[in-house]
Amino acid sequence: MSGDKRFRTGAFALLLSLFLFAASGCGDLSKDELNRGVESLSALAAQGQLVASGVARDATKSTYARVMAKTLGGEAEHEAEKLADATPEAGTEEERDAAVAVAGEIAGLFSELQTFPGDEHHGSLVQKHLEEAQEKAEAITARLNGEKS
Amino acid sequence: MKGSGEIYVVHRLLDEQICDSEGKRVGRVDDIELRGDPPRITALLVGEGLYPRRLPRHLARLARRIGGPELWGGNALRIPWEEVDELAATVKLRKKAEDLGLGMGDDPKRWIVRRLPWN
Amino acid sequence: MKAIFKIALGIIAAIGGFLDIGDLVFDTQAGALFRYDLLWAVVLGTIGIAVYAEMTGRVAAVSGRPVFDVIRMRLGFGMGLVALVASTIVNLLTVAAELGGIAIVLELLFDAPYSMFVFAAAVALVAIVALLPFGGIERFFGYGGLALFVVVATAFHQEPNWGDVAAGFVPSLSSSSLYLYFVVGVFAAALMPYEVHFYSSGAIEEGWTEENLKENRLNAIVGYGIGGILSVALVVVSGYLFHPLGVEPNDLGTVALPMQGAFGETGLLLALGGMLFCVGGAAIDSSFAASYNLAQFLGWEWGRYQGPRKAPRFTASWLVFLLLGIAIAESGINPVEITEYSVVFSVVALPLTYLPVLLIAGDRSFMSGHANGPFATVLGWLYFAIIIVLAVAAIPLLLATNAGGG
Repeated sequence: MSGDKRFRTGAFALLLSLFLFAASGCGDLSKDELNRGVESLSALAAQGQLVASGVARDATKSTYARVMAKTLGGEAEHEAEKLADATPEAGTEEERDAAVAVAGEIAGLFSELQTFPGDEHHGSLVQKHLEEAQEKAEAITARLNGEKS
Repeated sequence: MKGSGEIYVVHRLLDEQICDSEGKRVGRVDDIELRGDPPRITALLVGEGLYPRRLPRHLARLARRIGGPELWGGNALRIPWEEVDELAATVKLRKKAEDLGLGMGDDPKRWIVRRLPWN
Repeated sequence: MKAIFKIALGIIAAIGGFLDIGDLVFDTQAGALFRYDLLWAVVLGTIGIAVYAEMTGRVAAVSGRPVFDVIRMRLGFGMGLVALVASTIVNLLTVAAELGGIAIVLELLFDAPYSMFVFAAAVALVAIVALLPFGGIERFFGYGGLALFVVVATAFHQEPNWGDVAAGFVPSLSSSSLYLYFVVGVFAAALMPYEVHFYSSGAIEEGWTEENLKENRLNAIVGYGIGGILSVALVVVSGYLFHPLGVEPNDLGTVALPMQGAFGETGLLLALGGMLFCVGGAAIDSSFAASYNLAQFLGWEWGRYQGPRKAPRFTASWLVFLLLGIAIAESGINPVEITEYSVVFSVVALPLTYLPVLLIAGDRSFMSGHANGPFATVLGWLYFAIIIVLAVAAIPLLLATNAGGG
């Protein structure tokens, strides 16, 4: 390849990679993505309440509750990390931080359920706190969408 | 061969399952040998060595690399047409597999079959 | 009365597990995302597999040809090889997904590591196949799978708005690619070809003749009908409980949650037990389907009844497929994710294995008087058209929705 052509190919490759880099958002968290993340947290909390209520009523198998708590807790942690690592869209920093906090809370509650999967008292507490966490998540969603002008 | 009338060679003979006189499955009709003018079926050809012929050119090269070249008596076998007894859901042969040198793939004496855990 | 009971047992035994991990995953997700709106797709897929199974069973009984014999004969070596490769890849992914599914259910029941259970599951399956007589195997998984009727009981216990449920049976399309993806997924999960390939080879092994045609039709309609009822029930219970909460079922354990809610620990255990038997049966069916297809295409001796001595290559290939399935299941990919791919790819490969059977089933020179009548012909070709549309749309939708992740 002639030197001239090589230069053009290199420049094109550079521009293409810059474009892709910018287009991927590389670590940027749009408001939509933040919204979806918070909705996921809300859904996890809801599912967690179903599991916890089973424990609270002594109407489930403790191995099932423990494994479900582990799995769902892992998903909450994953969501927390995803939200924490990314750069939030301008104006949504507060909501992003609140979301990370809620995600951490939810993960912690699942961890508790994992440790005490047969304890009715703990089950009922976890259920109540997950409900509160879900309400917090929904409040964040409301704030995000309220700000949509 | 029992029965008479016409058969569609490609439609009903090629790629058919072959069974020996005892019903043992011994491969498929991978190719057909035609001789003479007008052409007559003289033999059925069976074996992995014949697969490259059935594939488009580039795949044929790959197939030959994997399965090795055509080795008559090894991965390519010839069943004379006279050995065919009947054409039904399978091509039924007159003799047993061993008498025709067929069915070696599942033969217990073959090295790979001997290595299997239950043999 | 006794005769009906006997026939029913026969059908249950013939079909083995009614659902597999694909149905469990897609039906539950479909209910959670779209409530009852995809029920029509479940029914469409159920009728589809009944049509496909009846045709292949009839072809096997009348012409003595199992599916991959028909495929090699009708498509020839080249295209037949394409069908074989595609079918084998799909079956391998399916085996891996089912093995993973068994392991997940065992983990939920006994809280020991998943990776241990993958091995244990494969070993148990080999032991079951080696030790139980074949009629016993089908009955073992079939009766165990009936425990999933707890899902039907849950649906009635929940007392959903039946008007809304009924509305879900009316076909509706949406421009949402996620909705369309689930139309494909739910349909494909109901119409998994390995079931039919296994069924057809089983018919040959049983020595079916024209006398078995009525039994064939009953198996197809009632047997797969039961699977359809269970699938519908799964969508309903999931839609009722999960949709209002926005729950996203990404785990197999979530499938059993509605039954726990309705009937407590008993409901949970019946659900998990039923899932275990269904997925276990599917693991056997899909692994054997892979071996059947390979052996039939190449002309090897084949058959479970032949045993490892008379059909060594067939038996060895079955073990190899199980081993590969273990490897994929242990690779760390979530079985639920493997399932998304196995189901979607299966519909992409479906036209290749469906068309030759349709052609032979309608060919009087093979079917001597039992060829497709006008009703079967119309139904058969209608489904071919549907399958082509879905096969073409499947991968674009998979990519567009990030495998249902949205």
